[in-house]
Amino acid sequence: MEQQIQLEEALKNIQKLVDNIEKVIRGKRTQIQFILTALLAKGHILMEDNPGTGKTVMAKTLAQSISAREDHHGVNFKRIQFTPDLLPMDLIGSHIFDDVKKEFIFKKGPLFCNVLLADEINRASPKVQSALLECMAENQITMGDITYQLENLFFAIATQNPIEMEGTYPLPAAQLDRFFIKIIFGYVDEETELDIYKDYLGIQNNLQHIEQVLSMEEILFLQRETEKVFVHEEIIKAVRNIVWATRKTPDIILGASTRSGITFLKCLKAFALVNGRSFVTEDDLKQITSAVLDHRLIYRNKEAKQKALAAILDSELGRLSKMKIGE
Amino acid sequence: MAIGRVHNWKKLIAQILLLGVPTAVLAYYVIWNANNFFNILENDWLKQGTYFAAGLVTALVFYSYRFRFITTTVFLLLVYYAWYKILANITVGEFDAFFVSVKFMIFAILFSVGWLTGYGFSRSRYYTVFWSALLLCVEIIIVSKTTDIKAATLISAFAPVLAYGFYIIFTAELIRNMSDDEQRFGWFITKRMLGFGIVVAVLLLAVLSMFQNDFKAVEKEWANQQPDYNKDKGGESMTKKNKDGSVSNKDQTRLTSSLNKGKRLVFVSKLDNYFSDGQTPNPLYFTAYYYTKFDTLTQAFEIDSLMPDNDLFRPNPSKIPLYFAKTDSSVIKNTHASLERKVVTAEVYKVLLSPDEYIAPSTAFFCQPIPVANEYKDQYKSAYRAKMWVSDLNSAYFIYNPAGNKTLEQFQESRFDELRSITNFSSVQKRFLDYYTFMPSNDDYDSLRQLALKITANAKTPVDKMIAIRDYFLSKDEFGQPLFKYSDNPGIPGLPSASKLNYFLFDNRKGYCAYFAGATLFMLRALGIPSRVAAGFLTIDRSTKNPGWYWFYEDQAHAWVQVFFPGYGWIDFDTTVPDVNTQQAPQPDETPPLNMQDAYFVADGTVTSIDTVTKRMKVDVSKVLFHDKDYETTKIENLEMDVSIATVSKDTGSVPLSVIKKGMHVTAASFAEALKDIKANDDDSMLSVLKKLPAPVPVDQVKIIDPDAEAKQKKAQEEAAKQPIDWIKVLLVALIVVASTALIVFLTPWLIWQYYNAKARNSRDIKSKAFSSHRAVMYYLNQIGYVRTNTGPADYARNIDALFRTNFGSFSMVYQKLKYSSQQLTDHEKVVVLEFYKPFIKLMRRNVSYKIRFSKFLNIYTTLNWFTQNKNA
Repeated sequence: MEQQIQLEEALKNIQKLVDNIEKVIRGKRTQIQFILTALLAKGHILMEDNPGTGKTVMAKTLAQSISAREDHHGVNFKRIQFTPDLLPMDLIGSHIFDDVKKEFIFKKGPLFCNVLLADEINRASPKVQSALLECMAENQITMGDITYQLENLFFAIATQNPIEMEGTYPLPAAQLDRFFIKIIFGYVDEETELDIYKDYLGIQNNLQHIEQVLSMEEILFLQRETEKVFVHEEIIKAVRNIVWATRKTPDIILGASTRSGITFLKCLKAFALVNGRSFVTEDDLKQITSAVLDHRLIYRNKEAKQKALAAILDSELGRLSKMKIGE
Repeated sequence: MAIGRVHNWKKLIAQILLLGVPTAVLAYYVIWNANNFFNILENDWLKQGTYFAAGLVTALVFYSYRFRFITTTVFLLLVYYAWYKILANITVGEFDAFFVSVKFMIFAILFSVGWLTGYGFSRSRYYTVFWSALLLCVEIIIVSKTTDIKAATLISAFAPVLAYGFYIIFTAELIRNMSDDEQRFGWFITKRMLGFGIVVAVLLLAVLSMFQNDFKAVEKEWANQQPDYNKDKGGESMTKKNKDGSVSNKDQTRLTSSLNKGKRLVFVSKLDNYFSDGQTPNPLYFTAYYYTKFDTLTQAFEIDSLMPDNDLFRPNPSKIPLYFAKTDSSVIKNTHASLERKVVTAEVYKVLLSPDEYIAPSTAFFCQPIPVANEYKDQYKSAYRAKMWVSDLNSAYFIYNPAGNKTLEQFQESRFDELRSITNFSSVQKRFLDYYTFMPSNDDYDSLRQLALKITANAKTPVDKMIAIRDYFLSKDEFGQPLFKYSDNPGIPGLPSASKLNYFLFDNRKGYCAYFAGATLFMLRALGIPSRVAAGFLTIDRSTKNPGWYWFYEDQAHAWVQVFFPGYGWIDFDTTVPDVNTQQAPQPDETPPLNMQDAYFVADGTVTSIDTVTKRMKVDVSKVLFHDKDYETTKIENLEMDVSIATVSKDTGSVPLSVIKKGMHVTAASFAEALKDIKANDDDSMLSVLKKLPAPVPVDQVKIIDPDAEAKQKKAQEEAAKQPIDWIKVLLVALIVVASTALIVFLTPWLIWQYYNAKARNSRDIKSKAFSSHRAVMYYLNQIGYVRTNTGPADYARNIDALFRTNFGSFSMVYQKLKYSSQQLTDHEKVVVLEFYKPFIKLMRRNVSYKIRFSKFLNIYTTLNWFTQNKNA
């Protein structure tokens, strides 16, 4: 049974957030939408591109837009700069000896937060990367015998430099799978770049004075609303078809998993809501497929990487396009 | 050195299996067809087809590597040349060399065509179109060369080629678009091969069942047995069987390996031709046609309606009212004969002979249908009386061989003496002479000419030359055996397309009448003697009890030669040697039909009323025959007749009185004694004659003239007249077929659009309206060239809107909502859906020029893409 979705209010909140981010980040509407999609779908996002394209600024802006400055009932934001000598303890925290109580107490690391910015995640060693696995997947951290539950909202924004660059450790497939969406950040277009140069002082100023626009409750509300977005049976079928096709195409060595399919559906719902709709359409499918699935697949060669998924998607879109309107 | 590939091996295999194999199969078929049509006797289609297939496959494999066309072709030519040189060096003997070089040429041509086709399939996108058109042209040429065009011929010639054309164009395109790593490649091939196999099997079965009898006959012909062609249509015999089961002479006779003969009675005739003693019957050959042309390609004798001074009288007896006569006085004029001529009467009683057929001794000019006496109605279907302008020099006895009868030999000698007075043909018109002495010019006919000159070296006059030719056929070889033998199964020459006449004259020396007549004809023509072949029936006098009566059986169908002598006209001349193996068994001497009494009164007209109870019939009479005098009037007179004792007949036989219906054309004859004594005066008109008759007039015979038969006859004649140029019709038919298929192909995109358009305009329900509008718009845009690929519907709609300032974007959004959400549309959204389609199409029409739309809508490839784009995902 479909629950009544509070579309108006949800949209108002989303718009507030987008407007706030756009004060600092220019010409990145799609990327913002993707980030919000990941947030609303209770997932995590991985951003990849060369240094200096605005990944970190984006992450910071988003975090600050929803985190508490003073005691404004906002979310808790932490940032970790990943380096090759980073240790898991630096993330999770460690037991230290309390002189007064004469016992080891657990000192929580930066992972215990609501919004985590993991900057340059692929610079850290695999050991550290894997430390992220549990908390990203299960919202919990196990230290020794004790399992610490993370808060309701846990959103990881990771940035990484392209794999080919020096001093990087490629993320393992399991790790990549935890990120709902991976986006290529990309450069802004010429016009926007000129605007940015002209107004860089204003932007810096804005960045320092980013205000919290949404509270934790509002974020959780948005996440709840996302789950109510209506997905037509044919769209679910299309998701199934695409996932299957990735497994059957010889161009793709490792296809999408069933978990990817579920993630895909969650993202579709979130993306529809971000775009102001209470139902999922072919457009959502078209926009989001690559962002959701691309980083999970292992292709046979470079050519296949460029073509295979697009071909699968397009033929599925063709099928949907000609399909009759069901009852 | 490694040579790069144009196609990978998968594509190559697909090309060989999906393009190569069907093409080879079709090539086999076309070559087989060509071999058949041209009567090439050594039917080498299997070997020739293999040459083609070899060229095709070699080229396909070869050109899947990066080779250039021109260099490779030069290389191929060099190989040919070297090969030819080697062959020329190792073959010994002129004949062998000729044979081998011809075979090599056939090989080279077929291999090259196959090679070219392989190249086309491999490299050129449009070759398949060209190739299909070429094949179609080949079939048109083959069909146009055949004389015997039937629906089956057309279907068997065109259907496979057309089907193949569609298949090959489609498949070539499919393979061209096949992605390099087509998944489940084996299945891709198997599926299509299976489909192709099924289609071929169906076609083959159809062809086999259609030509089953022909195949069997050909098989027998090759086994030198008697083929039973005649059981089915299209066989060879001297007569042909009509649809109603009757028999006619054929209007063309082909030289074949064997002849079929039947033993059934065709007709009986009384011929009032006697020798000068007035008692000994003088039989004459009965003529149906004159063959004045010879088709060297099909090796068949044919009639020519344009022959100069046409003296062939061919009325349709079933069309002429009883007792009324049809004459053609131009026949006597065209005969150019005045010496030793007289008019002779013959009565012909038909048994199997078609009612439409008119057969009489040559130069007949008169035809009068007569009734068959009642007691013979079961035996004889109809009868007519014929009169002809007969030469005293003609007789079935001595046109060929007097058979040892002294008086006849004497008679024949005197005839020859008389004809010796003709020494040249200078008095004959040049056009006439040229026509009747024409012969084709090639080596075959040259050797025939040499033979004729050799045989007749000592003969001075035309008639002596004629006798010399006859004597040559009758001469004996060095072992005392006859040089020429009669045979119904002479066999066929071993060389493809060799002249059968030459084979008959120089090698085989066995044949039936058409061979002898044909050979004689060309020898005479080679000597400048005007001559033609006559076809009809040989007359044998078997009756001692009934002098003047002759029986004609199917095996008496015959062909012989007529020679023109100025002043004497056409004289029959038969050179067929007697059949020694099968002596003519004497046929039973049956009772002839009674002589028909002449009617006192005959009326011809249309029935106005008929009463089968009181047996009274009223007829609007237009023509009357009274005591052998005929009266005709423009003023139609109604006459009442008493039909109580009348017998009613049609061409097909007796019928009951009730068959007569108002409006029928009938002829009524009366033999009533009551009319015997009423005489007409010279100044009587038809009206006054009718007034003298008792009312109602007693009638003994009523014959219904079938209007359908007339129409049929007319049609048949028209068709027969058209025969020589029939291939134009074939071309037309082929063109129409091609044009209409092309039209269908080109119209398909437009027709589909019309369907979608109508659907979009006429849908009422909001959902179906949205769907059909969307489909129509998508189809329209696809056809015009804006294909949606790699874009979502919203982006696509936005692009289209940017181009044409349409409202597609908002429609698309509502459409998506309608399709994928569970919510109801708002009123505004409904308006968007309902008001979208018409303005959109209007805008499209305004923004895209008519020329572009027209040309884009002709492109069926786009339409195919529209239907296939998501199928192979």
